[in-house]
Amino acid sequence: MLAINDITKTYGSGRTQVTALDQVSFRLGEGKLLAMIGPSGSGKTTLVSIIAGLLTPTSGEVIIDGHPLHLRSSADAARYRRETVGIVFQEHHLVPYLTARDNLLLVPHLSGRITREDRTRADDLLESFGLADRVSHRPALLSGGERQRVAIARALMNTPTIMLVDEPTASLDTERGFQVVEMLKDQVHERGMTCVMVTHDMRMAEHADERLMLRDGRVVAG
Amino acid sequence: MFAIKELFGSKFKFSLIALAIGLVVSLTMVTSAMSEGLLTGMSGAKSRLDADALVFQRDTYPTIERSILSADDLDAVAGTSGIAGAYGVGHTYASVGSVDEPFDVRVFGLGGSMDQLPIIEGRAASGHDEAVLDATAELDGVEIGDTITLTPMDASLKVVGFTEGRRYVMVPTVWVDLETWEALHLAALLGAGDDGEQAGEVAAARMAEQFSGSASVAAIDLEPGTTIEEVQRGLGDAYRVAGIQDAADAGNGMPEMILAVNGIQGVSVVIGALLVGVFFYITTLHKTSQIAAIKAIGASNAYLYRDLLLQITVLVAIATVLGTVLALGAGAGMPPMMAFDPDPRRWAVAVLAIFGTAYVGSLFSLRSILKIDPATALGRTSA
Ligand SMILES: Nc1ncnc2c1ncn2[C@@H]1O[C@H](COP(=O)(O)OP(=O)(O)OP(=O)(O)O)[C@@H](O)[C@H]1O
Ligand SMILES: [Mg+2]
Repeated sequence: MLAINDITKTYGSGRTQVTALDQVSFRLGEGKLLAMIGPSGSGKTTLVSIIAGLLTPTSGEVIIDGHPLHLRSSADAARYRRETVGIVFQEHHLVPYLTARDNLLLVPHLSGRITREDRTRADDLLESFGLADRVSHRPALLSGGERQRVAIARALMNTPTIMLVDEPTASLDTERGFQVVEMLKDQVHERGMTCVMVTHDMRMAEHADERLMLRDGRVVAG
Repeated sequence: MFAIKELFGSKFKFSLIALAIGLVVSLTMVTSAMSEGLLTGMSGAKSRLDADALVFQRDTYPTIERSILSADDLDAVAGTSGIAGAYGVGHTYASVGSVDEPFDVRVFGLGGSMDQLPIIEGRAASGHDEAVLDATAELDGVEIGDTITLTPMDASLKVVGFTEGRRYVMVPTVWVDLETWEALHLAALLGAGDDGEQAGEVAAARMAEQFSGSASVAAIDLEPGTTIEEVQRGLGDAYRVAGIQDAADAGNGMPEMILAVNGIQGVSVVIGALLVGVFFYITTLHKTSQIAAIKAIGASNAYLYRDLLLQITVLVAIATVLGTVLALGAGAGMPPMMAFDPDPRRWAVAVLAIFGTAYVGSLFSLRSILKIDPATALGRTSA
């Protein structure tokens, strides 16, 4: 269970101060995919970044399974992201010189050593995303949809409890976009994760279990 | 492991930089080997004498050419406390006139054992009128078994062996025992062989007596625990004592040469370090968004910096191998008169210096790694 309690985030100070989030609250249970929608500048990325431990809120709390998130240092935050969070970026952000498999193995490598289980897991994940014959390809040789699927598989490598996805379909055509969202939803249901997906596209949002609408940093519809 | 994959993932880029650093490594190695050769060429005859220190006549240091110690002086030096052993070393100028093109040499007389000269061809000199020559004399046409004529003393010596690393001021040396040297020295002073202009016999006899048992300097061994300063105090004002290496590194423009060579080496090491530092700094700047994303999925700064150090280590190691091969190739291609004398210890020092400074240069990249905000990986990349 992920709970967002009264989160406010302001950037800058004085005349240039921007309130990106204004007392945002919501809850999301396990096995649920939430679509977060809202116009540009409404605070979607800011909220996702706070849940990811990439930004600290000006006030309010993120609560995961009843425990408030307290990150004391950047090393602490890095560990939280390694162990608890899976992130899929708008741009796939795969490492260009690594094969699909190595991009997945990078995740356990960040936490220490790569075990045999890690290798099996990477291959299984790639297979479940229909990439069995692409494991040794570098990102440059993959199509946009394939890259985004590798990126999702990478986010699943550490069996995260929270999955964060920022506009995963922005660089894909509608058909492929739907495919990726469907795959994501299957994984969320199967693994009982909590997933927040940012999107501009109302039709993509229809595929999610729940929807949250932001405008000017406030929740306008849940 | 992934850091190495990155190196091999962009082979062209990394080969270029490895080549550039390799060239710098080979430059430091070649200059070090050449300076080693230059320095032994300039003063090998002095620096490789079997002694702890040299004693000069007062006010002549570091010019062995001007120093002269009489038999009494040598006795006085040998009797000074703190000196375990002493022998005379004589020096005189000469030319070898018995070859097609006469060439300059320096004649050294050894009062101590002639065995200190390593023989690379022939045998050691034993007794009068036999000489061992530095092997570079071979390039001037001298061979074992030749009888060479020295001018201006018009003396003949039989060449019985060649030694190595014993040049002085870049010319070959002729090594004889001290008695032979004394005769040559005296003959040179008297201008023997010049018809009609011979010095008076009385004067000659007086000079012979005066120089009997003399030498240019005394080579001494110190008693254990004795310092040069203590010996200097014991010897008093009439003499000047200097450690063998100090004496070898002084005079004949040696200090300036050593300074210049060390300067070139220092600058090349700095250039190598800058190359490594700047290269990785720019690479890091180019990868900002990639590094931000890796940080966002949980890479710590320590992880990223470790990767960078690993890459630097591999790159500099490859460059070192490349540089060593290039340097050895350059050495092999050099004419024998070009003194190329690779010294593994100095090479190791140069390589360590490049490694060390490369790690220091990596701090630039560390700074930019620390500054990359993982939050930038989300959302705003296309903006
Ligand atoms: N680092 C920052 N410094 C100052 N203001 C910022 C910063 N990041 C975001 N903002 C501002 O905060 C507000 C919310 O930005 P955010 O990126 O969260 O919006 P978004 O909903 O993700 O927009 P988009 O759909 O365009 O990605 C915007 O007004 C933005 O200009
Ligand atoms: Mg955004």
